[in-house]
Parts: sequence; structure tokens; C-alpha cells
Amino acid sequence: MRLALVAVLVAAAVAGAIVVVERDGSGAPASASRSGGIALARSAASLPPPAAPAFRVGKPRLIDGHETRARSAPVARRAVAFAEPGGRGQAVATVEPTTEEGSTNIVLVVGETTLGGGSWVRVRLPSLPNGRTGWVPRRALGGYAFVRTHLVVDRAHLTATLLRDDRAVFRAPIGIGVPAAPTPPGEFYVRVKLAGFDDPFYGPVAFGTSGRSAVLTDWPGGGYIGIHGTNAPELIPGRVSHGCVRLRNEDIVRLSRLMPVGTPVTIR
Amino acid sequence: MTDPTVDPTLDELAATLADVDADGALQETAAAAFPGTRGAFLRRSLGTLAGITAGAVVAGEAAAAPVAATENDVAILRFDLVLEYLQAGLYTEAERIGALTPETLAWARVVGAHERAHVRALQDLLGRRTVPSPGFNYRDVTSDEDAFIKTAVAFEDLTAALLKWQAPRLDSRSIVAAAVTLHSVETRHAAWIRHLNGLSPVTSAFDKPASQERMARLIASTGFLTRRSRTALNARPRFTG
Repeated sequence: MRLALVAVLVAAAVAGAIVVVERDGSGAPASASRSGGIALARSAASLPPPAAPAFRVGKPRLIDGHETRARSAPVARRAVAFAEPGGRGQAVATVEPTTEEGSTNIVLVVGETTLGGGSWVRVRLPSLPNGRTGWVPRRALGGYAFVRTHLVVDRAHLTATLLRDDRAVFRAPIGIGVPAAPTPPGEFYVRVKLAGFDDPFYGPVAFGTSGRSAVLTDWPGGGYIGIHGTNAPELIPGRVSHGCVRLRNEDIVRLSRLMPVGTPVTIR
Repeated sequence: MTDPTVDPTLDELAATLADVDADGALQETAAAAFPGTRGAFLRRSLGTLAGITAGAVVAGEAAAAPVAATENDVAILRFDLVLEYLQAGLYTEAERIGALTPETLAWARVVGAHERAHVRALQDLLGRRTVPSPGFNYRDVTSDEDAFIKTAVAFEDLTAALLKWQAPRLDSRSIVAAAVTLHSVETRHAAWIRHLNGLSPVTSAFDKPASQERMARLIASTGFLTRRSRTALNARPRFTG
């Protein structure tokens, strides 16, 4: 008679072996096949133990829905910025792939649209007059980078405050431009971070912004407004600079650890 | 022994990768991935991995057993890490721009979190042998619904196929055990994005593997790899002061 077998596998936790119990149709153990079952159990027991995974993936972290996002992109190729998307309107500026310092030239993205099958991006321009924007083809830009920070320079109270997701994470007294060379108000962004130079006047770290002095237009390098340290900390806070935002050296070092390139800057 | 899946034109691909690879991360990946090509020269320059300590393999909620990763395994893991960077970057950017349909964005939000977790796990496992993320330029793909979906389907399908190709080539059973936990998740991602977009979530009774070389060619063909921006310099300022 053909024996119907039901194999019940019981993991032997202590021994790490497997016990196989065979039963016929009536539920009684089938002695005829016992030896085969034992052999099967021994065979299974001889398998190597399971390998512990080399890594376990941690808990996925969703992006905080409340994070603030500013988007920038490097200029991949020289391009003309127009007043309107699609290459229409007046040509307002030309953007170059590198800055006056030799760094990658980045632009802050403030809008985008698709027109005639092509994508156009509205960018804040590092040119005079301050605050100007223009439309460039998306293909002229490189990959996007995002930051969650925003620097607010308060000229009335002579303070600089760095926000992260709209929460203040840094605040320090500052020096700003003298009345004859004022720090310009407006919306700008951080373009470059410089360090490792030997010039005490600028302190240990200097950020270059997209803002430019409306007065010192013939300044070497284009008259860009920087945010940097100083060799005269006793003048801070005050209206003492040629338009740049000066911080005490310990403050600019602290800020340099918190503020990435691409951070929007509001000077009010 | 010659691997029949290795394409003789891989020198060209290695050169392409080197051309866009400013920090050398992909050169090393290419070197490890393309034995027998120009990559072999680069590969020889890599040191021998003595082992990864238990402390270096802790990822997430639990510590794992120490893994003695061979050079072969390190090369495979590095390749996977670059691929995870690529996927995590794509989905994270899509979510941050927010131009896709709500359904697709919801998928990108969840899957992006998974891929970022994969990145952390692989970085921890590789420890000092990790590779930094290259730069990426996804162009319009992260704001164009059709382009995004096509890319996501391709990435998820091919990642699952790649893991199938890699698993039997890994030396460490512990790494195989971990890799299969990623594999099933990638196949779920693929089925999910396919279902969302009216594609069959299961296309055949058996899935085929895709070689590392094929995946490398795909990555290179996307044009997503770019140089990282150089926005920090050791240079004297010329600001107004």
C-alpha cells in the first residue's frame, strides 16, 4: 500500500537540529519510513547555520515637510539671461561658468517654466542693478543643490541671523558699510566660500555674495559684497566697511560651519 | 577566466566615467567593476582590505556581525553605493521640487527615504573604504512626469536585476544575506511604480540578472553624472571689504 506521509518539521532550538515525524493516513507513526526520515533530519542538521546579515538598513527618514528649500545650480555653459522665458524680451545679462575668484559660478533658482518644448529657469543674477533676475535655458545649468538656510542681515540693528527651516540657529553683531559706501539692501545669495588666505583684513573666512556695491563699481573683482572676518573687532557693531558685512573672527568661523554656499541672503 | 558578459568596449566607458569624475570616486568604481580593462590598472592601486570591524558595520537599529570583506566584495558594494546615491538623489530632488503628480510624489517620498537608508547602510558597512557621492544633474527628469516615471521604472527594474547578478559573485555570505534584504525591497519599488503607471508589475515568470557592466553603461548613458561644483577655494578675497 502506498504510504501517505505528512512531514512535520520541528526546529530544535537548542540543538539546531530538525526532527522529522512521519505519519500514515491514520495518524500513526510509520516505522517503515523512520530511517529515511532520520537521514533527512541529519542531512538538514548538517546545513551551515544562517549567516548574520552584514548590515541592517536603518529606519527610513522622510524629508521634513516643514523644511525651507532654496535651490541653486552651477552655470554649465555661458548663457544669455533674458527678461522673459523662451529667449524673448531684452537680454539682461550674460552668466559665465566661473566667478571672478575662479570658483564654479552658481545661480539661485527662483522660478521655472516649460516653453516650446524647452525648460527655462528664472535665476537671480549677480549683476547690477542689484536684485535683477533673468531667464536662462535649463540646459545651460548643471545639477540642482538645495539648502535649508537663509541669512538675514539687519542694517538697523547691526545683526546677522542665520535661519534654518525658519528657526534662528546663529546670531551675531556685524559691521556694515559707511554712509558713503552703503551695504546694499535686497535679495542675494552666497556664491563662494574662501579660506586659507593670508590677509588679516578679511579674517579667516570670507563668503562672496551676489550683491554688488552700487558705489564702488570699479573695485577690483567687480565690487562684490562679501561676508567676512576682520582685524578690527573693536569696530563691530558699527557702520565701518566699504559695503561688506564684517563679523568678529570667532563669529565668522562659527557661521562658516553652518552656512552652505547657495544660501539666500536678505539685506534689509 | 574571461567573463562573457564583459563588453570589450568597456575601456571607452571607463574613460567616459573618468572624464566626468572630478574626485576619482567613479574611477575607482569603474576600476573595480571592469576587470581586464583599463580599470584593472586602477584596481591594482587599491590596497588590500584587511577586514571591516564590527563597529564599522553598525547601521540602523542593530549591530551586525563583523564582516571580512574581500576586495571583490568591496568593489561590488562600492558600485551599489554609487547606484544608491544616484537613485536617492533622483527621488529626493523630485520631492523637493514638487512638480510631479501627488501620486508619483508620494511614491518618490517613500522610496527616496528607503534609498537614503540604503546609502547610510552601505556607507557604514564600507567604513573607510566608502566612496563619496559624485555630482548629479538630472536635468528636467525630476520635474517631468513622463521622464521621471520612465527613469524610475528603469532604475528599480535594473537595480533588482543587478543585485541578482551580484549575489552569486559575493564572497561573504553575510553580505549576501544583507544584499537579499535590499533586493526584495527594490523589486517592490519596481512593482509599485509600474502599477501606479498602468504597467504590468510582473513581466515574466523568471527575472533575469543584469550585469554590473550593463548597469554602468546605463548610468553613463543617462548623462546624470557631473563634476561637483567647486564653490570653496583657498584664495584671497577681492570683495569691497
